Formats: sequence, structure tokens, C-alpha cells
Amino acid sequence: MIGTGIKRGTAELAVLSVLEHGPLHGYEMAHRIEQQTKGALRFTLAALYPMLYRMEQRGWIRGAWETSSSGRRRRCYRITPVGKKRLSPLRREWAELFGALRRLTKVSNA
Amino acid sequence: MRDWEALVEGHLTGFALEPAESADVIAELAAHLAETCEELRKQGMAEEEAVRRTLSQVEDWKKLTRLIQTARTKENIMTNRVKQFWLPSLLTLLLSMGLLALIQVFGPNPWLVARKSGWSLVAPVAVVYLPWLLSLPVIGAMGAYLSNRAGGSQRAVFSSIVFPVLPYLVFFLAALLVMAIFNKHLAHNIMFGALFVGLFAWVLAPGAALLAGGLLAQFSLSRRLDSRRIVSN
Repeated sequence: MIGTGIKRGTAELAVLSVLEHGPLHGYEMAHRIEQQTKGALRFTLAALYPMLYRMEQRGWIRGAWETSSSGRRRRCYRITPVGKKRLSPLRREWAELFGALRRLTKVSNA
Repeated sequence: MRDWEALVEGHLTGFALEPAESADVIAELAAHLAETCEELRKQGMAEEEAVRRTLSQVEDWKKLTRLIQTARTKENIMTNRVKQFWLPSLLTLLLSMGLLALIQVFGPNPWLVARKSGWSLVAPVAVVYLPWLLSLPVIGAMGAYLSNRAGGSQRAVFSSIVFPVLPYLVFFLAALLVMAIFNKHLAHNIMFGALFVGLFAWVLAPGAALLAGGLLAQFSLSRRLDSRRIVSN
């Protein structure tokens, strides 16, 4: 299980990455991230929505109300061009961090 | 059936958001809770247990209220339009005008471009401040960098680069319009040639200098981004 601090840092990357494949509402997004990370990243409501609103304020994602076929209203989020632009350096930063950690742990295991 | 909206509204007390915005947040959180509970019920969980598990997602409602409030209001102070367009544009305008004023007071004499007749110059005369023109590519590059860093679109970046010459452009276009309307009625005709020379000296030449620096900066920033993409892929 990944610790809380690292999770917080990866949260934005996780949200942008799942939204890159199409619009999702909050519950779906949390579910998708949990599934794809095999439970390593889990978002509770309390963690997810403040972050979504912050990302929306920054213009990285855009939310809009939609009504599903069952008649339920949900706020669906889409990644914006600004969000797509942000995703690339975020990926690179995290790849660099994990690469560095991998090298470090290999060295310390040797 | 449980009223999740009433439950969320009861917990999120002291929201200092607009009523419509507040209602949106409550509806969204309630929909999330309802869906979580339904999913747990589908998995065969008893209703009371499903509700308890659903509500355990929020340990501290006061903290959640505060976090949502901060997330939705704190960054409103500076909107994207301000960060991506107005701030870089006004900064480039301020810098270029400030520099021009300094050069006019303390700098070398301007370069006067005109036809010569004997020892004197014949109007129209273009007044060109060379040190100012030479500094404009740097200012244009700064506008491009600031707008690009804030995630500005191509249009926002371009506007930020050329913003310092826009007031001059507006002035010359307005003057051309006024001339076209009133020129026949004036005793001393304004010279069209003077306006076009002015347009060249104060709009086209500085605009080209700003664009030279700005587009170069934009090109180098996008190349750096592309190379990062290749590395991350």
C-alpha cells in the first residue's frame, strides 16, 4: 500500500490520466482509478471532490451536469486542453521520481 | 429511500458559496454517496451497514466543508484569462512603454527616416528609437513565456506578444477613419503618407521585433515540451 503523502501527489496525475480516455463523473472516476491501480489508489468522497474542484478552478478539467438514461443527474468531468498540456510534464516528473527511486533501491539492494 | 441531499446539506453547514453553487456541490456529493450505497447494496450488504460504510468516506464534515470552500474560492482571485492573457499582456505593455519613456529621456537621439531636400528633411518623418526596437524581442519573449507557462492557448500567447503595439494600431486606424471622413473639410489636409509612415514606425516595426522574440521563445518552449513527451513516452 502506498503512503498518504505520495498518494496526494499522484492524485492529480491519476485523475488527468483517467479523464484522458473520456469524460467520467466523480464516482466512476474513483472506481476506475481503484480498479486500474488494483486498489493501490483509493479516493474517498472527502479526498476526491476538493481536488476535482481545485483542478476545475485551475482550468485542467471542466465539469457539466448530465442526465443518465436512468434519469439520474451527474456532474461529468472532461479534461481540457490546459489539462492535457499539464499531463505531459506531470507524467515526466513522476516517471523521473520513480526511476530515481528504482535506481536507488537497486543500488541499496546490491 | 434515503434523502442523501438532505443528509449532505445537514452536514455541510456554514458554506460561504453562492446558493446555486452550494446546491450544485450538495447535489454532486449526494449523488456520489447514493451511488456508493447502491453499489454496496448490490453486493448484498444490509442497508444499515451499507449506509454506515458509505458515510465512513467522510470522517470530518467540517474539514470537508472548509476544503471545498477553499478549492472553489481561493483560486478565483486570478482566473485563467488573467494568468494566460491579461497579466503577460499588461506586463509587456508596461515594460515596453516604460523603456520607451526612459530611452526618450536618457537615451541617444532617435533615428529620423525621411526624404532629404538639401539640408532639411521632408515630411513625413519616421521617428525610430533603435535601442527600444532592439529591446522588444526580449519583451515579446517574456510575454510568450508567461502566457505559455500559465497554459495559454496559441491565441493568448500571440496576443500577449503583440499587445504593446495594439494601442498604436488602434490610434492609427482611428486616425485613418477620421481622415477619410473629415479630410476634405479641413483647411490643412492631414497627409495620408504621414499616417502610413507612423504605422510602420510604431506598429509594424515594433510588432515584428516583438514577434521575432516571442515566436522564437514559443518555438523553443514547444520543442522542449515535445522532447519531454518523447522522453516520458
